[in-house]
Amino acid sequence: MRVLIVEDERKTAEYLEQGLREQGCTVDLAFDGIDGQHLALHYDFDVIVLDVMLPGLDGFAVLKSLRAVKNTPVIMLTARDGVEDRVRGLQGGADDYLVKPFSFLELFARLQVLTRRGRAQETTLLRVGDLQVDLIARKAQRQGQRLDLTAKEFALLALLARRQGEILSKTVIAEMVWDMNFDSNTNVVEVAIKRLRSKLDAPFPTELLHTIRGMGYVLEDRSAQAGG
Amino acid sequence: MKNSIAARLAAMFAMASIVGFALIGAALHHVLVRELARHQNDQITNRIADISYVLEHARSPGLGERMRQKLDALESAGPRTRVWMWSKDPAFQYGSNVSEMLGLVRDNTPGAEVDIAGNKMRLKSRTVPANDLWPEVRFAVGVDSQPFISTLHAFEKALLALTLTGTCLAAALGWWIARLGLAPVERLSGDAQRIGPGNRAQRLQLPSLPRELADLGMSFNQALDRLDAAYRQLETFSDDVAHELRTPLANLIGQTQVTLARERDAGELREVLQSNLEELERLRAIVADMLFLARAEQGAKARSRVEASIADEVGKTVEFLDVLLDDALMTVEVLGDATAPIETSLFRRALTNLLHNAIQHSIRGAEIRVEIAKDASHARVRITNPSAPIAPEQLARLFDRFYRVDTSRPNSGENHGLGLAIVKAVAAMHRGEVFAEYADGRATIGFSVSLN
Repeated sequence: MRVLIVEDERKTAEYLEQGLREQGCTVDLAFDGIDGQHLALHYDFDVIVLDVMLPGLDGFAVLKSLRAVKNTPVIMLTARDGVEDRVRGLQGGADDYLVKPFSFLELFARLQVLTRRGRAQETTLLRVGDLQVDLIARKAQRQGQRLDLTAKEFALLALLARRQGEILSKTVIAEMVWDMNFDSNTNVVEVAIKRLRSKLDAPFPTELLHTIRGMGYVLEDRSAQAGG
Repeated sequence: MKNSIAARLAAMFAMASIVGFALIGAALHHVLVRELARHQNDQITNRIADISYVLEHARSPGLGERMRQKLDALESAGPRTRVWMWSKDPAFQYGSNVSEMLGLVRDNTPGAEVDIAGNKMRLKSRTVPANDLWPEVRFAVGVDSQPFISTLHAFEKALLALTLTGTCLAAALGWWIARLGLAPVERLSGDAQRIGPGNRAQRLQLPSLPRELADLGMSFNQALDRLDAAYRQLETFSDDVAHELRTPLANLIGQTQVTLARERDAGELREVLQSNLEELERLRAIVADMLFLARAEQGAKARSRVEASIADEVGKTVEFLDVLLDDALMTVEVLGDATAPIETSLFRRALTNLLHNAIQHSIRGAEIRVEIAKDASHARVRITNPSAPIAPEQLARLFDRFYRVDTSRPNSGENHGLGLAIVKAVAAMHRGEVFAEYADGRATIGFSVSLN
């Protein structure tokens, strides 16, 4: 995935660059609107991360000139949480909008959604190590042993399995599993994960569901990685 | 600034007195003019009567000669009176420019003002028909108007002087009265000036105010009370924000400093970074919620409202909180239903906060009751749970930001004290209200949303 980051705040630009590089993206940086516009117009990116407040030329202007010639997906960043800004950005042709402070995980997830858009890659049987999740039959088994899950536990597992290897924040999980799209300030997700883990991991020698403190949860088979 | 009230009142007094004086003056002037004219006419009429008498009672021959002598005598006796006499018989002619003068007046009309050699005179004429003693004689009598005009002028001058003096006097008096009358206002203003951020408790002295100003003073004091309350809330709010942010910031700084003071291996560093991230997430959540509250307070309204069943929303929220309810062995009973136009994500957020609050403040195994009802204008959600007693003053403050009934356990991780404030904001965004009651060991907290 080739990403252009147009952001005048160096620290932000640099950690985004590092983070995205480590996730396997190719990253170009521009620190002002004029450079950003030039790069966006003359090179092809899979997605552009565009700050609103930029020296030289603001994000809205860059977006406008970009939209005149091409349809590269754009996600806009702003420190202002005004509805007007959001509406203006989306009307100007932005594909998504993030308010600072945002979590890196959320940005990365949204970038993936934007670039993945239109590509159907759903399979109905997911495998993570010795875990199998059948999305049609709504059944999960590990080492051939059926896991006795409630509907919500299954939905949670299916989400983690569909996006295996990807760290999912509590907010994303609450939104995808329970349709609660706000920071709930409750420990529902933690408790639900704990319960799922007691059925998924406790009876088995290897753990598949991992907690990344402060960030979220990831489902992956680390023993396979360790083994090669 | 507008003109002072005293100056305006003084000007109004002056204007009123000018009008008064002018009306009286005009009336007096009118009367005087009429009286003077009548007086003049009387003089003339008397003179004419005299002359007619002389003529009509004369029997002697040489009557014309006698008449002229008589007229001469009359003129010299009253120099301000002049007489003209004319007849076909030259013996009965008297005075200069007789024919011309007599052409100026007609008989039996009220006296006419005429200009004779620069002198204003009032003229009147009469014709005595001929008989065997005398021919037809026409004579005219004129009285000098000058004394009357002088009198009138003197009167006018006096009137003008009186009007001006009176007006000035009225203005001065008016100003003084106004100042006197407005003294309580000045005292009020002085009182008000003494109120500042430093002594917000000070209020206007109501008992010393006259009745007309008492209402104003009371309203002013009430406005001050409200402002003071808002100010105090803002003050504690700033303190609270500073405090809420200070703790995680202190943790971040301290922990990072301690970590960096020595060589650490990667595992330890990871620990610290993760711990930092948790604190930062907490900060982010507080900032996000504060922004949300600020927007609601600035009057933001729910934008994408859709008609939805409140019981459905409660059901989804209960499903979300299911694991917590299950852990606490609690059950939720939902009674009633209503549909209302709501923004579901906001509504669920409010419900989540309320139910979470109920779970946190009830004992294990408790039953939480959710009642949904609606009236003509609003739909209401009431959430009742068994609770430790809550004092009325605590109930009133439940929805304040950062307010915690149980101050002994602040900052319990997820709970940063904005939950119920957010419920209030969500209610306001749906043009509804929040309420809290406590009775018989049960706390009921809820909110309403407008139906239109």
